[in-house]
Amino acid sequence: MLDFQSCNLNEQVHSRREFLARSGFGFGAVALGCLGEEEAAFAAARQAGGVDNPLAPTTPHFPGQARNVIFMFMKGGPSHIDTFDPKPALAGLDGQLLPPSFRPEDLSLQFVKAHEAKLMASPRKFTRCGESGIEISDLFENLGRCADDLAVIRSCYHDSLIHGPAINLLFSGSVRLGHPTLGSWIVYGLGSESENFPGFVAMSEGNVTASDESLHGSGFLPAVYQATRARHEGTAFENLDPPPDVSHGAQTRMLEQLQSWNRRHFETRRDDSRLAARIANYELAFRMQAAAPELTDLAGEPESVRRMYGLDQERTARFGRVCLLARRMVERGVRFVQLYKGNWDGHAQCDQNHVDNAVAIDQPIAGLLTDLKLRGLLESTLVVWIGEFGRTPVVQGDGGRDHNPHGFSCWMAGGGIRGGKVIGATDELGCRAIEDRVHVHDLHATMLSLLGLDHTRLTYLTQGRDMRLTDVGGYNDLSERLTRA
Amino acid sequence: MIAILCLALSFSFVQSASQIQETARRILQSNCVSCHGEQQMSGLDLRHRDTMLAGGGKGPALVPGNAEESLLFLAASHAGKLKMPPGKPPLSAHDLDVLRDWIDRGAPWDSTAATAAPAEPTWWSLRRPRRPAVPTVRNQDRVRNPIDAFILEKLESHGLEPAPEADKRTLIRRASFDLTGLPPTPEQVDRFLKDSSPNAYDKLVRDLLASPRYGERWGRHWLDLVRYADSGGYETDEYFPNSWRYRDYVIKSLNENKPYDRFLQEQIAGDELWPDDLELHGHYYGITPEKLEHLEARIGTGLYTFGPEIVESLLDAPKLAYERMTDWVDTTGAVFMGLTLACARCHDHKFDPVSQRDYFRLQAIFAPSDAVEIPVVTRMSRFHRNETYPRMIAVDEARRTYKLYLDGVKKRMIAAAKSGFPPEVVLAHEVPEEKKTPRQAKLAAPLAEALKTLDRDWEDRMAPEEKEEKRRLLEEIGKLVVLLPEVDASHLVNFDGFYDVPKASVLGHREPELIPEIHVLDRGEMDRRLERVTPGVPTVFEYLGEWDGWDPAAAGNATSRTRRQLALWLSRPDHPLTARVMVNRLWQWHFGQGIVRTSNDYGAQGDPPTHPELLDWLALEFVARGWDIKSMHRLIMSSGTYRMASRYSNPRNGELDPGNRTLWRMNRRRLEAESMWDTLHSVAGTLNLKMGGRPAVPPLTAEELDVLPAPFLWPVSADPAQHTRRGIYILSRRSFTFPMFRTFDRPDSSLSCPRRQVTTVAPQALWFLNHRTGLQQARKLAGRLVAGHGDDPSAWVENAWRITLSRPPSAKEKREALDLLDALSREDSAAKNEMEVPDELSSIGSARAAALTQLCLTIFNLNEFVYID
Repeated sequence: MLDFQSCNLNEQVHSRREFLARSGFGFGAVALGCLGEEEAAFAAARQAGGVDNPLAPTTPHFPGQARNVIFMFMKGGPSHIDTFDPKPALAGLDGQLLPPSFRPEDLSLQFVKAHEAKLMASPRKFTRCGESGIEISDLFENLGRCADDLAVIRSCYHDSLIHGPAINLLFSGSVRLGHPTLGSWIVYGLGSESENFPGFVAMSEGNVTASDESLHGSGFLPAVYQATRARHEGTAFENLDPPPDVSHGAQTRMLEQLQSWNRRHFETRRDDSRLAARIANYELAFRMQAAAPELTDLAGEPESVRRMYGLDQERTARFGRVCLLARRMVERGVRFVQLYKGNWDGHAQCDQNHVDNAVAIDQPIAGLLTDLKLRGLLESTLVVWIGEFGRTPVVQGDGGRDHNPHGFSCWMAGGGIRGGKVIGATDELGCRAIEDRVHVHDLHATMLSLLGLDHTRLTYLTQGRDMRLTDVGGYNDLSERLTRA
Repeated sequence: MIAILCLALSFSFVQSASQIQETARRILQSNCVSCHGEQQMSGLDLRHRDTMLAGGGKGPALVPGNAEESLLFLAASHAGKLKMPPGKPPLSAHDLDVLRDWIDRGAPWDSTAATAAPAEPTWWSLRRPRRPAVPTVRNQDRVRNPIDAFILEKLESHGLEPAPEADKRTLIRRASFDLTGLPPTPEQVDRFLKDSSPNAYDKLVRDLLASPRYGERWGRHWLDLVRYADSGGYETDEYFPNSWRYRDYVIKSLNENKPYDRFLQEQIAGDELWPDDLELHGHYYGITPEKLEHLEARIGTGLYTFGPEIVESLLDAPKLAYERMTDWVDTTGAVFMGLTLACARCHDHKFDPVSQRDYFRLQAIFAPSDAVEIPVVTRMSRFHRNETYPRMIAVDEARRTYKLYLDGVKKRMIAAAKSGFPPEVVLAHEVPEEKKTPRQAKLAAPLAEALKTLDRDWEDRMAPEEKEEKRRLLEEIGKLVVLLPEVDASHLVNFDGFYDVPKASVLGHREPELIPEIHVLDRGEMDRRLERVTPGVPTVFEYLGEWDGWDPAAAGNATSRTRRQLALWLSRPDHPLTARVMVNRLWQWHFGQGIVRTSNDYGAQGDPPTHPELLDWLALEFVARGWDIKSMHRLIMSSGTYRMASRYSNPRNGELDPGNRTLWRMNRRRLEAESMWDTLHSVAGTLNLKMGGRPAVPPLTAEELDVLPAPFLWPVSADPAQHTRRGIYILSRRSFTFPMFRTFDRPDSSLSCPRRQVTTVAPQALWFLNHRTGLQQARKLAGRLVAGHGDDPSAWVENAWRITLSRPPSAKEKREALDLLDALSREDSAAKNEMEVPDELSSIGSARAAALTQLCLTIFNLNEFVYID
């Protein structure tokens, strides 16, 4: 009987090496566990273009400190002026019109007319945090304790006023659909290092209403680079559990016969690597089924860790679980983990909206950063926190704030970044990024750079063009400044 | 070795002196003359040799015989201080080579040519195809038709050995999947094997082409190409209620073998070529065939109504118009011309002779057009619907009654809650939030809290008689909705969706005064307008001369029927691209790769054809056969090339041409997502062959629902028969792809997809092993086996193989399958009744029923099930 956990497949196929060399198998370089020292040779082989595994790890364009990314997407657009970009001048102008020097006529917003709306001061209190003294609002008291690990970028901007296109822009560098998302590009560029799991995983705490393809799609890149959606409760990935009336024993027996038949079929079609790849995938699938429960089983996590992520509190438990799973995925080699928290779209009662959202994530994110650091993973894991835009200093309706893509904040940590930094600035009232402006393309270039990828060289030929994540932009790469002491 | 072959497969153009002269002239014309022509900037005129010699303010432009000393060349190559054209990159290496060569040859300039027709371009795909002689080959006995001669010639010249002909079982399975996307039935296989007549295979192909399943299979190829979808994508993913009419139009057109020129004309300009008020007058029984034909042509223009809709642009009409025209031009270029026009929106095409001006001239062709909805039923049916419209009003009024009642109940509850508090608390609460004093806020807090709670659970707190009244009012709405008529009074027309007049989304025209002016836009940005342009096709094609239907005088007139002219121009028999592009697509969908592998890019960035003569031969044959698509299928499929085995290896071939670019054997192909779906249902006997209509929406699993952005995105069809329709009929949303299709490489539908990628990843194995669809269909197949053969395991195995793999099992396989059945029936995994168990299966006992189901599921997982030799 064939044991799917062991390596005796090479009894049937000429050599394991040949088998692997012909395989574009599933989730990683090491589809078969006991490969040992062949891994490196295999990775090198892909570099040489000799192997058709699209997910084998590659050597980056240049050495980069980051190997993994945890990308936290704040859907709806959190207000920068209530979180990471204090505007004391706003307090003095509360209730007044935007002064003409801010060119309100030129400030296009979604619902509000900037020249008619009144300014609304932030109800939040900002304090200087850590040794670096970065000012962070009381919405993120816990995260404030990690200030010295953060690089806050206060001068992000782009030109899309509406969620959909702005999300596309943030995820794929283009307002149009059909372009690969950030995670797809990165796995395309670096390959996957996970034995049992996908290279690009997306996990949501709740229902994120956004176009599925915008957040997860691989666009014009092969589908192998798309995100695999994971759930934070129950089975992690789709179709992991055998159907209700196929027992484990039955499935094992089926697979054994299946693989035997498939190998016999392959015997007379030996030069078709796709057939070998598909055979290898069944083995990998079987292993994934075995490995996935361990990934989501948090029982082994000590109480101190659970508390760190806020699992003991009702309001933080959900996002805490998501964050803890993200760490476990990174530990298991998942290249790009994408998390969502929504909805920050505070068109009315913006402050209440932000309090509710921030409470749920402040402790878990602080826990994640602390935990990664304790485990020595923060150096190699880039953590990014960002929404699709910021919000306006002018009020909309009942205490709301409108969309503002003209200037907003994000932060990054880990992945070689020397924290405790603030980059760029918006104007005195937070209307527009004015100093050291950082376009979304620049953020993408920066992230790629931290991973050792040159955004002008990471290309894919389609529609007659060598397409890039950064289109024709991305020339304000911050990575050098972020990693400098 | 491989490199040598690659070189041999590409080809070059050796140009004569007169060609060089023509080309140089074209290069100057398209890059320089806009300034150094009539305008004579810096006093330089590059339209004549003598003015070039005389030069301008910077001296002579030309030193005949010496390119390196000619200012013209130095400027164009950016070798000197003067860099031309200003602010642009130097001319392409190819153009510079031509200029250098021309000058070095003494800059010949035949002045009579200056006024002659524009020269035929140098790039192969832009030149008219020329009918090549069919080559003679050594292996003449392997030539079934001229296709083989072209293929064998290349194989022979490289010393490659062609594969032998595939056996009949392989052929019927290949042809059946290829033309219908479905496996042959065991009866079809037997009939074909028994038929020893010389034309048995041709009959098979003819029968398959005559099957309605053909249009469903090849229609899907076309839908990939035209970025078909039932919604607009992005966050809101606007639903397109009528896209499916275009989908049905494609299937019908292919099944009826509509000539390709007509197919193209209808899609680009069905409305302008066959103008009709589409007033389907007369009696409902008496719609004239001509009107129906015109209606059908008009639905073809639906191609331009289901592109992706950037919601942001909905806020801004000019931007929306611009984005739509961009999509229209890009799609037209990719689908019908095989050109990547999109590149020229922001700058002159870097690789192909398409200027930005050309690009916007194409946009101007579409500028008078707009997407509209038209009713597709007679006035009488519309009348019947309007006649019964008060029933809709009754529904609406019942809904209002319900809402008013609930509002009243809630108001009473709020009043009751307030009455429980002292008046000063209520007063404090009434003060607007921002004007409350801290004391008032504190005072009002308990009431605010109480009201907040009430807001959450007031419906639970309703009195029993109130709840009963609510139920009654809801039921009232339900009754009225159920009673809405589903068909009009003629009983011939079904209302569309929820009591709506059936409509189609098609192209129409804007009022003349609302037609946007089209300008060249600097870097493609809307606010950076340059010169205004009039409708036209790329100047590189001017050499083709006048064509039927194009009225140059009217060309500048935006209200003229410009799409009509484009359609006629594209379908002219001597168009260099149209036929080549289409025959190459047919070839690619038959063989897995095209003669031009980049089947949407015939420009310099695309791959050159592996068999240029064959491509031209096929293109001219296609036109000569009246653009007859089915005839081309027959031609291609009757070739020895198509009939070669895929199971053939030859070390020398493998080394010289591992990618099989020369077609020394047939390519093995994996079923596409929809074919897999169809086949799983077909072998189980559950495939619903109903054609056409609104999209079918099968249910999702709980896991799949978890990642659905919003439940209403996937309104599951009530009728279970809808859940087993062919894949082409399944709802195709841009924001959410049917999960099974997503797993198996269904392409993104925002851009034209000429050829699907095939990935092989572990989630696919997990899907086949664990998804309920596989198990459900396995159980149905098991039921079919038991129903057909009683309690006879040997017959089950025998027939399971015949049904799924179109062959009997080998003796060894049969023994193994029976052993597996035994082993599985001993496993404790009897059906847990979660799914419907076919009656037939209950007769063999639950353990054996489970075992047989699992055997069938195992077969579905075989490589042989999804890979077609």
